[in-house]
Formats: sequence, C-alpha cells, structure tokens
Amino acid sequence: MNYYFIRRLYIFGLTILVIALFYSQIIRGNYYLERAKNNYVRVIPLRSKRGTIYDRNGLPLAYDNASFNIAVIPCQIKNKKDSLFRELAAALGSDINIILRNYSRELINYFSPIDVAINIDKSKAFQIQEKFKDVLIDPQPRRYYPYPREFSHILGYVKRQDSFYESFKKYGYAPSEYAGVTGIEQYYDSYLKGEDGGNLIEINARGQVVGFLGEQKAHKGQDIYLTIDARWQKIVFDELGGRIGAVIIMDSQSGEIIAMVSSPAFDPNQFLKGKGLAEMRDERHPLLNRAIQSACQMGSTIKPIIALAALQEKKITPASTFICNGTMNLGRASFHCLHTHGAQDLYQGIAHSCNIYFYNVALRLGPDNITKWAKRFRLDAVTDIDLPYEGKGFMPTVEWKERVLKSKWFDGDTCNLAIGQGSSQVTPLENLLAMNVFATSGYLVRPHLFKKVEDTDSGFGERNYLGADIANIDIVKTGLRDVVEGEGGTAHILKELNLKIAGKTGTAQVGPGKSPHGWFLGFFPYDNPRYTFCVFLEHGQSSYIAVKAFKAILKKAREGGIL
Amino acid sequence: MTAHHPLRFRLTTAKTIIFCLAILNALSLAAIYSSLHEGGSFTAQGLFYKEIVWMIISWLFLLFFSFVNYRIYYDLAYFFYIFNIILLFIVGRFGKTAMGATRWINIAGFNFQPSEVAKIAIIFLLARFFSFQGKRGFLKDFLVPLVLVGFSSLIILKQPDLGTALILIFLFLLTGFASQVKKRYFVFLLIAGIAAAPFLFNHLKDYQKKRLIVFVNPNADPLGAGYTIIQSKIAVGSGRFFGKGFLSGTQNQFNFLPERHTDFIFTVIGEEGGLLGSLFLILIYWLIINTILKETDRLKDPFAQYLCFAIATLFFLHLFINVGMTLGILPVVGVPFLFMSYGGTHLMASFILAGIFLNICHSE
Repeated sequence: MNYYFIRRLYIFGLTILVIALFYSQIIRGNYYLERAKNNYVRVIPLRSKRGTIYDRNGLPLAYDNASFNIAVIPCQIKNKKDSLFRELAAALGSDINIILRNYSRELINYFSPIDVAINIDKSKAFQIQEKFKDVLIDPQPRRYYPYPREFSHILGYVKRQDSFYESFKKYGYAPSEYAGVTGIEQYYDSYLKGEDGGNLIEINARGQVVGFLGEQKAHKGQDIYLTIDARWQKIVFDELGGRIGAVIIMDSQSGEIIAMVSSPAFDPNQFLKGKGLAEMRDERHPLLNRAIQSACQMGSTIKPIIALAALQEKKITPASTFICNGTMNLGRASFHCLHTHGAQDLYQGIAHSCNIYFYNVALRLGPDNITKWAKRFRLDAVTDIDLPYEGKGFMPTVEWKERVLKSKWFDGDTCNLAIGQGSSQVTPLENLLAMNVFATSGYLVRPHLFKKVEDTDSGFGERNYLGADIANIDIVKTGLRDVVEGEGGTAHILKELNLKIAGKTGTAQVGPGKSPHGWFLGFFPYDNPRYTFCVFLEHGQSSYIAVKAFKAILKKAREGGIL
Repeated sequence: MTAHHPLRFRLTTAKTIIFCLAILNALSLAAIYSSLHEGGSFTAQGLFYKEIVWMIISWLFLLFFSFVNYRIYYDLAYFFYIFNIILLFIVGRFGKTAMGATRWINIAGFNFQPSEVAKIAIIFLLARFFSFQGKRGFLKDFLVPLVLVGFSSLIILKQPDLGTALILIFLFLLTGFASQVKKRYFVFLLIAGIAAAPFLFNHLKDYQKKRLIVFVNPNADPLGAGYTIIQSKIAVGSGRFFGKGFLSGTQNQFNFLPERHTDFIFTVIGEEGGLLGSLFLILIYWLIINTILKETDRLKDPFAQYLCFAIATLFFLHLFINVGMTLGILPVVGVPFLFMSYGGTHLMASFILAGIFLNICHSE
C-alpha cells in the first residue's frame, strides 16, 4: 500500500480548486458581484402558437386565438398580495381561491408574469388594468374550436402537459406545453406543436427590466388540412341531431374521409376550461367516437360478403334459387325471415335481404369459409385510420367457440353468422371499408383524414387487392343496386333521388327489450363510385330509420349545392 | 502523535473525525436552511426538518457501524456486490423516475437510491481484491475487478447517472494505482478511456451531451443546460472574500439556481460564505480525508488499509467533482456534495463509511 503519490495528487487537485475559487471570487469577484447585483438574467417564456387545422376547402376548424389573461409580477406585489387578490377577485367576480391556486402553481421566479385569471373578456381586462396599476394584461394563444360539437371526435382537444412543465421549472422558466388529447390534435401533435421560445432579459433587484439579452423566437406549429368537407360534416351532424350513432362518408377511390360524425358529441372548448366533467359522466358516452370505437353486430349488412364468398368458393351461382316460406327448421330450432319471399335468387336475396336465402347459402359455405372471407374483408382488424384509439371488430370461429365458450359449433351459429347476429361485431368504419370493396371492384383502401401539411401532400393512398374475381364482385354489386333500384328493394325510397345508389340495409337485433341497431351502407353512383357511406344508428329501431336519415342528408347536400 | 502512544493516537483520530463531521453537519444545515428560502420566505420547510431527521438517523448508523467488526466486509464483499446488482436491476425495472432518471426506489415512503449503496459495495470489493498480497497475474489482479466494477457502473450509467458511474471507475483506478498491481495497467486504462471518450459520448443521453457541450461553452444554450453553469459561476464569484452573509445571497434568495439544495449546495456556501467560508469547508473536508489516509500508516491489516484508502478516495472524488462543476472547471455530471447536499441516502452512506472507519480505528 503506497498512498503517498495519490495523496500528492489529491493535494494537487485541491490546489486547483482553491486557485479556481480564488480566481472567481477574488480576481473576478467584483465582475460577478456586479452581474449578480444589477443584472438578474431572466427568461420570460414566449408561448408558441399551435398549427391551425383546416378542412379540405380551407375552412379553419381549430386555431389559436388570443386569450386575455390578467397577470401579476410577484416581486412587484410582494407585500400587498393578499389584499390585491381579494380586490381582484371581487372585480372579476371570481373565487379568490382560483386566483391563489393559479398563482402558486405558476410561480417559477419572481420576475416572470403569472397569469392569475385566464381568458377574461377583452374590455373587462382593460377595465381591470386601469383600476389596478399592479396588474398587466398578458395575451396568450389559446386553442379555439369554432364548430365544437360537429368536429369534436375528429379533432380531439388540447391539454397542458404537466410532466414537461415540472421538468422545466427547475431551470427557472416554464414554457407551458400544450399537447393534443385524442383525435387529430393527438395523432398529428408533432406537426401542430410549435416551439416555445423566450426573452432573455436583465432585471434589477426591484424587478425593473434594465436590459435585453436576446430572444429565442417562438415558432408556430405547422398548419394541416384535413380531407373533411365541413359542409358535409355539418349537414350530417344536424341530421343526426343528437341521436346516438355514427355516419361516415368517404371518397370511394382514395379513402379520404369526407365526413365522420359520432353522436352525441362533446364541446372541446369546455375541456380547455377544465369543465368537461358533465360530459365525461354522461351515460350516452359522448366522448366515444362511435365511428371507430364502438363495435356492434352487423345485421344484414354482412350479406354481400357472404354472397361474394359463396360465389368465390363456387358454392352457388347467381341463378341458384332457394325458396323462402318465412321459416326454416334446423333440428329443434327454427329460423325466421321477415317476410315470405318465395323463390329467391342471389339478386333478389340481397335486394329483399331474405334471411332464408342466406341461411341456405351459409350452410353450403360453412363457417370456416365465412370467417376466412370476413377476415379478408378485414372485419376483425383495425383500419389504420389516422386517429388514435381505434377499436376493432370480432369474428367468431369454430375453434374460438370451442376454446372460449366451451361449446360445439352448431349449424344455427352458421345461420346467425350469415345474417350478422351472434358474436360477430364490427365498427362502422370497418363495415364501411368492407362495403367499399364493392365500390372499388375489389380493393381495400386506407381510410384517412389527413390531406396535407402546409404544401406537402399526405401520401396516403395505398390500396390492397382483396383477391376476388371482378365478375363475382359485379354480380354482388348488381344485387346492391337492386336494394335501391329493384322492385321491393329495402332502400327503394332513395330511388327518386336519381343518384344511382347501391347499398345494403341491416337491422341488428341486440337482445330482448332493447331497440335494434339500424345500418345503411352503400356507395354511389354505382357505375363509377365517388362516395361510400355508412349510417349507423345505435338502438335506432330499424334500418328504415337509417335509410330515411341518409335520404335527408342527401337532400340537404343537394340543396346546399355540394352534390 | 506517534506510534509510541497508540491509545491516544486512536482516540484523537476518532475525535477528529467526529468533530469534523459535526462541523460539516452544522454547515450543511445552515446552507440547506438558506437554500430553501425564496424571496425572503422559508418556502420548503418540510425538506429542512426532513434533513434533520436524516442526520439523526445517520449518526445512529455511524454508531452502529463503529461497533461492527470491519473484517466481516471481507467475507461479505461478493455478497454485497451481488445484492447491489440485484437492487440496481430492481430500480431499473420498478424504480421511480424523477427528472428523466430512474434512480430511486421507494421503501416504506422513503425514496432510496441504490446507486449510493453501490459505492459502498464497490469499496468492499476493491479493498478485498487489492489487499491480496502477492501476484496473481493480469487476469485476477486487474481484469476481474475491472469487469465487476465496470458492470455495475454500466447499469448505473443506464439509469442514467453519469456522475456515480464515473466515480466508481475512478475509485477503481485510484485504489488500484495505490496497490502493488502493476501501475501500467491503470495508466493504460486511463489513456484508453480518454481515447474512447468521443465514441462513448455518442452513447450518452441527450441531456448529458448537452451538459458536456455547455461545459465547453455555456453560452451555447443559455436558456437550457448552460443556464445552471452561468448562474452558479455568478453565485460563487459574487461571494468574493467575506461572502454576502447568511440568508443574504441574491442568487440564492431570488431563485436563480435550480437544485441548489442538492447538487449545487456549494453555490450557497460560496455566495453567502465567500472565499473564507469555502476554504474553511474544504479545509474541514481535507482534514477528514487526510486523517483517514494517515490512519493507514498505523494499520497492519491490508484489507483495513485499502478500506480506509477507498473511503478517503470516495470523499475526495465527491469533493473535487462537485466543487469543480460548481466552479465551471468540470462538466455538470450530477454528483451530490457528500455530507453537505440535501438527501438521505448519500448522507447515510457517508456516515456508514465513517462508522466503518471508526471501527477500524478501534481495532488492532
């Protein structure tokens, strides 16, 4: 053990420290004292503006506008804080505890203004400033949604990020960070988010600014354009009128979402004020985006898929006929149809939505083929739309039933599957994409809401080939056309609009005592599809109500000159 | 004080240590008390009382460990090492994250930092390895302890805690250099480390890189990482010879310095106590280090000698790195000022080491 060398090393190290101390405290001491005495360097944070969200025609749907905040500078009000806050609360007609809470939460240093009252009416703010000489008006960007309920689920809202905030606090300044919560605000947060800056200023001991050292400019976030057409969106929203459900209208070929409404909606502006509680507790779940998050039974809207699967697997031809006499007996159970349709071929089966026809087709096809095609149509997978928290549907299989429900698969299960009852579930968006396969003659498109950021296009547009013969798709397409155009079609009331609509209705039974879900999906014009749509009314009684709602939407769109 | 009066010598040594620790406690409490003020009001009183509790607990630990025969650490060295590695893994998986680093685990409401325990475990390990008399070759003399120390400092670096990781490596280098193992190994390792620095730099976290960049030029990021250095230099420098006086530091009182009660506690001493206060503190510190180093002359047990040496080295490294970074002559690596900074774990760890030293004094 020989520590003498190391000890000398330590003494050398300490000598360096002492020299450094001597240098900074004695030789440079007066310089540093001067800096400490007169020049308090301070950062006044500059909040950046968040990017604006526009619809496809350039209508702003979300933007930052100035919020007039009442601010105080702590070192100026040091001794009269309590009395000032009391008078301020009285003048503003607000609670002194809110002011005190804001003050202590935002206190980072003694020279930066603290917003004690937020978003005050402009004229009121100026009155207050005249009355109290110690307060100042601090305009800050604040997110605003001009059409809050129409776009609530698409846009989401913004919220202050406390975690970021805390980590900056120790550096003596705090740019308040706002981040998107749900919707486009969350999904494209990295585009929308600006970069906060700050003014580096010098302040003396009395809090007066004595110098300006530099500025780190705040940079506004990028503006983004959505594929949404606000005019369609508003018409759809008004037509739903608070009924529970969802409506989606999509550009058939590109997958651009033109309208997507989930109802009931919420008001994101309330969330910014921290007042969203009532909506969070509402039993109708207004925060849920039913278009992408709620999976329900498909009802008869699964039938075109069953038909295409049967054609592909060569189990039927378009001319295969089954007789519907209203009931079909399978062992001890009997399965029903709404009417007694008589002899039905494929076109009639789809147009009249004849259950008996599809029971027979499904029994020929078998459950494995049905789930195989349901999976090809991606009824059990997320669509990858550019929104967070997308839900997905479910398709039962023979193996699943045996494993999870510990029960054998019966022919009755196959029949249930054929008419979209039982355990199968899809979201409205998944269902819409499946329908769109017929509109695109065999492709699954990628649905999206993002059109461009500033001048750069989104680059969405991939399509996946489903692997079905065009001839077979055309056969089913004819059946879908007959739903509207054919004799006794379940959506024939749309024929008078002359829009060449093809579609499929569906009424999904949801158990005793509850009103069934109403579905109506389709596309138009059927010879060259431009729009694919999905109307879903949760417990909406029947598909007829959904068809009627869509008819009203189309009529209003026509009156509005967008169709 | 010579070997002719062994009893008297030992008593004086122990007394010196206890006396110095008491002075450090008093200075620490004064500095923390002052640092917890903001604009003239005592804002974070809770932390101050908590620290007093920590000090009392630390003294109890010192008392306890001064009665535990230090030879037990020889036998338990590997056990402690493995135990600590497990603790570090636990903190990595379940630990509490604060300020971007996962260094704490919560035990019965107290936040506890296993990287502090790592220092003690490594001291035991190094003392055991280097106290071996005779030559065992490159592998056993050098490579095995290097790999063991390197492994735990890598885990700590991942937390990320660059400061503690570096301290462990330097503890190895310095203790090894004082041993009979060939010096050229350690010199070579140091040179290799310096040569590999640019490569290692790329593996650091962004905030650690930033700290190193602003060390070269604080004005590169005056609002961010450079802010601390600029403000801490102003604080210490403006203290001049006599200091601004207790509770009178403007840098301190007006909240210019973040984290001044923890890693930057020396700025409070420098600003309010001036050069006089700073030198006094360094002197007391050196008295502890020197007393521990000198004690090795009397000891016959090599394990005890290396234990003392490593303890003194740990104290020195903390003093040098912490004061160095406060003055801007070393990069900010986030190392507490032992005995001075606010915080329970490192205070307890330091007092445990002091307790172990007292036991060594009593022995033989």
